[in-house]
Amino acid sequence: MRTGGGDKDLMDPGVGPSMAPSVRVLLFATARTAVGRSELDWPVPPSGLPAGALAAELAAAHPRLAPVLKASRLVRNGVPVGRPSARIRPGDEFAIHPPYGGG
Amino acid sequence: MNGSLRLSPRALSWAAAARALSGPDLGGVALFAGRVRAERGAAGRVVALDYEVHAAPAIRVMREIDREARRRFGVERTVLWHRVGRVRAGEIAVIVGAAAGHRAPAFAAARFLIDELKKTVPIWKTERAGPRSNRSSPPRPR
Repeated sequence: MRTGGGDKDLMDPGVGPSMAPSVRVLLFATARTAVGRSELDWPVPPSGLPAGALAAELAAAHPRLAPVLKASRLVRNGVPVGRPSARIRPGDEFAIHPPYGGG
Repeated sequence: MNGSLRLSPRALSWAAAARALSGPDLGGVALFAGRVRAERGAAGRVVALDYEVHAAPAIRVMREIDREARRRFGVERTVLWHRVGRVRAGEIAVIVGAAAGHRAPAFAAARFLIDELKKTVPIWKTERAGPRSNRSSPPRPR
């Protein structure tokens, strides 16, 4: 059943928007190269999870990312994460910043 | 607001930066530009650098650096400009500068701006060497 006006079919799980809680993971520089993508939509529990645990999940799924993570800053919604226990919640933007190289 | 901050895909102008630092009371002006070097690396001669940026936190950190430079050194005007996207060898990738009544704070602030920019602003570069690697698209700011 289409809702008209070019809307996606909400009954088709392959087409409609995902309702599962997730965070948007942004990957830069060597982190992007290690994963092969610049962004991921990563599922998280409705209550979120600690930044360190999320990083560990990403490293387990993408083993080439593990050494990059050791030297990287973790950034939530544009602000560096102070502690690995800082909670990342559904809807957050979670960025991995390898060492900077401007100039 | 006497600080000029810029993340730009377009060429940076040395003359425009100098104008931004001009004023009748500003007797000391220090201006630094970093250009892309056509040095030879493992993959061949560098023809360009692709600069990638995480825009929102980069702008926030640049504002903090700028505020701190003016607070610490008492400079009146500052420039903190960086290219994003593809920058070809020979082109300017970054300009920083500071203007004050005298030379000492201007030199110190300009040095502080470039050192802090390199350490704390989320910008990354990837070398492009030789004509073949020049065909791919540069990364876009996010």
